[in-house]
Amino acid sequence: MRKEALSKSTIYILLSFGAILMLLPFIWMISTSLKAPNEVMALPPVWIPSELHWENYTEATEIAPFGRYFVNSVIITILSTLGELITTILAAYAFSRINFYGRDVVFAILLGTMMVPSEVLMIPNFVTLSDLGWIDTYKALIIPWTASIFAIFLLRQFFLGIPKELSYAAKVDGCSEFKFLWYVMVPLAKPALITIALLKIIGSWNSFLWPLIMTNSTEMRTLPVGLTAFTTEAGIQYGLLMAASAMVILPMVIIFFLMQKYIVAGVTRAGLKG
Amino acid sequence: MKKRFLLTTILSLFFLLVLSACSGEDTTSTEDKEAKDAEKTEENKDNEETSEPVEIEFWHAMSGPHEEALQSFVETFNSENESITVKAVNQGGYDDLEQKIMASAKAKTLPTMSQAVTGVIPEYINNDFVEPLNTYMEDEEIGLSEDERNDFMEIFRESSKWDDTYYSVPFSKSTRVMFYNKTILEENGFDVPETWQDVREISEAVTKDNVIGMGFENSFEAEFQAILKQLGGTYIDEEAKEAQFASEKGIEAMTFINDMIQEGIARTAGEDQYMSNPFGRGDVAMYIGSSAGIPHIAGAAEEGLEWGVTTNPTWEGEGATTFAGNDIVMFNQSEDAEKEAAWKFMKYLTSPEVTAEWAMKSGYLPVRSSALELEEYKTFLEENPAYAAASQQVDTGFFTARVTGGDAVRNIVLEELDKIVLGEKTVEDGLTSAQERSNEELKK
Amino acid sequence: MDLNPTKKSTLKGYLYLLPALLILITFNIYPIIKSFVMSLYTDFDFFTGEVFAYGFGNFVEIFQDPNFRIAIVNTVIFVIGVVPLSIVLSLIISLFLNSKIKFRGAFRTIYFLPYVTSVVAISIVWSWIFHYDYGLLNYFLSWFGIDPIAWLRDPQYAMPALIIVSVWKGLGFNIMIMLAGLQTIDEQYYLAAKVDGASAWHRFKSVTLPLLSPTLFFVSIISIINGFKVFDEIFALFDGRPGPGNSALTVVYYIYQKFYEEWQFGLASAAAFVLFIIIFLFTIIQLVLGKKFVHYN
Repeated sequence: MRKEALSKSTIYILLSFGAILMLLPFIWMISTSLKAPNEVMALPPVWIPSELHWENYTEATEIAPFGRYFVNSVIITILSTLGELITTILAAYAFSRINFYGRDVVFAILLGTMMVPSEVLMIPNFVTLSDLGWIDTYKALIIPWTASIFAIFLLRQFFLGIPKELSYAAKVDGCSEFKFLWYVMVPLAKPALITIALLKIIGSWNSFLWPLIMTNSTEMRTLPVGLTAFTTEAGIQYGLLMAASAMVILPMVIIFFLMQKYIVAGVTRAGLKG
Repeated sequence: MKKRFLLTTILSLFFLLVLSACSGEDTTSTEDKEAKDAEKTEENKDNEETSEPVEIEFWHAMSGPHEEALQSFVETFNSENESITVKAVNQGGYDDLEQKIMASAKAKTLPTMSQAVTGVIPEYINNDFVEPLNTYMEDEEIGLSEDERNDFMEIFRESSKWDDTYYSVPFSKSTRVMFYNKTILEENGFDVPETWQDVREISEAVTKDNVIGMGFENSFEAEFQAILKQLGGTYIDEEAKEAQFASEKGIEAMTFINDMIQEGIARTAGEDQYMSNPFGRGDVAMYIGSSAGIPHIAGAAEEGLEWGVTTNPTWEGEGATTFAGNDIVMFNQSEDAEKEAAWKFMKYLTSPEVTAEWAMKSGYLPVRSSALELEEYKTFLEENPAYAAASQQVDTGFFTARVTGGDAVRNIVLEELDKIVLGEKTVEDGLTSAQERSNEELKK
Repeated sequence: MDLNPTKKSTLKGYLYLLPALLILITFNIYPIIKSFVMSLYTDFDFFTGEVFAYGFGNFVEIFQDPNFRIAIVNTVIFVIGVVPLSIVLSLIISLFLNSKIKFRGAFRTIYFLPYVTSVVAISIVWSWIFHYDYGLLNYFLSWFGIDPIAWLRDPQYAMPALIIVSVWKGLGFNIMIMLAGLQTIDEQYYLAAKVDGASAWHRFKSVTLPLLSPTLFFVSIISIINGFKVFDEIFALFDGRPGPGNSALTVVYYIYQKFYEEWQFGLASAAAFVLFIIIFLFTIIQLVLGKKFVHYN
């Protein structure tokens, strides 16, 4: 018994140590972001700023239009998430409830293309988008991301789990198929949809390489792209740099704290089924 | 039928939503342009006297004090020219700017004008998207007089000209100057260094715990080129389009730099990005950097730091200084009215008063000879001797050969020099491989 | 509803699929083919898109390019550095979290936090931690009498720095999957083992590990695939350069350079195709070996 208790405290110590390592970059980021320049470069490091320099945040937004970047990220995230939800619901419904010629072949082809890394698709997509004249527009940042095979697959599995009897009942009621999808299936699939939406939001907010390549003007930059540009603009003023990084990181941290349950469920489901 | 109708409605609603949300912000969309054109014609009808308002974009890679200065010129120009609105857009660093120019040349969304590194202009000319400037320059109404044209400093005039055709106007031209920490030099009893031998001697003496004697920028190929030239060697032969720096002289030049770094009496900027940062903290006694770094130093230098600027060190009295910097080019994808507006802005930026003011605010060189004679500029130099070093060495200035692929060569050289400094290659191996790779690139 | 396919149901089915298919065909499927075709462009005009010659020259050229070899080697080193370390650490942590302890939720939240943060932003924070003179890491090392390390400047340490960031960032995802895997293991196996008097280590070896093997296998493959795609961290850590002396040049970074810095679409597509083959192989391994050898309960 005693041995067990001892090992339990070891577990606590090790877990806490690990947790500190996990949190340290966040703490250090916030701490640096509130320091005066001379404290930033102090040795030994100062953990708690002697004075809170909130103006680092305002100064960063003066040097680079982070407000604009923020709005861009929000618009792109929301619209591509909405778009993905709509295309996913329709496609998942077709794959799970409608029997049509070529269904299994189309589904298999789609699943097969999932293994192609998006980095491979980037070059031809750049050419396509520039031929369409979409480079440096919201269209280039949103429309290609409004459908996801992975999301369709996830929702299809969920739809398959909904008893078929329901749809027969609905048919008897004279409920049109589309209404049935919208008023019965979608509400039932809410947890799956929230999960899909949250994974999309995180992915879209944090995506970097695509917006880096598809945008040219300052006005079109998203937060992560604006942030890397900021490292040149701000030089090595780490106070400002950390303030800017915090502005990119914190919104997702907040969403994570609010919606943790769904995110965890989503990641686990995605993981186990994959 | 009903379902299908509903489905299409929802779908089209969604896409409408997406598209309408886009076009509101999308400056390049055709709908938008058409709307603007319509607006323009209407205004024209109302008021035939004033010329059509033109809005042009000007891309650049200026940041900090440089961007502030540039922005003030843009504002003055806009207020003086009612029908023209110049919009200055910062594109990050020079590499970012180059990338964005190529990407938008491909997407046909180039701005009307842009700052451009002189070394990449041949590439733009070959791909036929820069506008020759001769017709604008020689235009009776909006051009420059013969005298004005000759007023551009010869070295800059030459660097903007390819076979008698002007493709750019000189703008942000800098030279390399030596920054030194007065306190450290005085404490150790040294005078301001004049030669590379002085630099070495001082570095050996002052390098201690927290201080390193000499600093090189991450892109110190300019210093390598300068020493090479001082020794009498050739970097790239512009006529033969051939890199020749892996010569005996080249090895001697690079060995000099590399030895100092290996011995720990010199460092590169590394993760500090620019030497102005460690220099501002007092971590190095001297460094060589762009004259355009002067206002940055003033910003980075902690209070109490005593510093000065002098001319680039010579090799036993033999001077040579690389001139670097950027021009402004006009792209040919724009409308005629936009191009004309761009030319007017180019002319404004290079006018003697503006270029002198630019020099005073940025540390770049004035591009017009007459600017040097302006009273205001002369007094400024007397009061701010740090800025004087740059124009004192105009005589020994030279440009890196301008060849197609020059930019790729620069990247290759930087990469190989990096390997030498990091101890992965010997000086000879690094230079030889850089030369071979460069020549392969130049033959393309 | 789920009757045999008819003309009508087929029309309806594709109508429902239309929006998704439109997007997927344009931006996922067509580019796969196009990418392969582009890798065969040996002579073409970047601006007009005109192609003058096709061939396998691009593949020959990248395999002769020392930088491409460096990129492959670096990527493999990166994967070898990240995957085992990350798997072992996350296995230990998830075992700890799975034992009956307090504050489990809080710990889980903390470990998972890096997963939702922007790679670029957090890599910039790490580059500050790695700073030679004023970085936190060198300061901690100085407590143990270790001389400052030029994490981001010294080619020997650039890769370790990159690995540290990637392990730190990826731990949460692995832990989450492993926890889920652990929870599917029936309590009764442990009870049986306990009754047999098996030690904790023995229980881990004979019950946990085999029953967790599908999860471990899955996590490894995902980590390997993600490892081959590393880019954002490098871009942000080394300020838009592939590390000192190309020490952090990876395959995707190489593709990026050829594509967006040098505009050599043919070479970039050829390199991208090689990346695709590598990832494809691992996916096949996952599908085939996964079903054969791994113990599914």
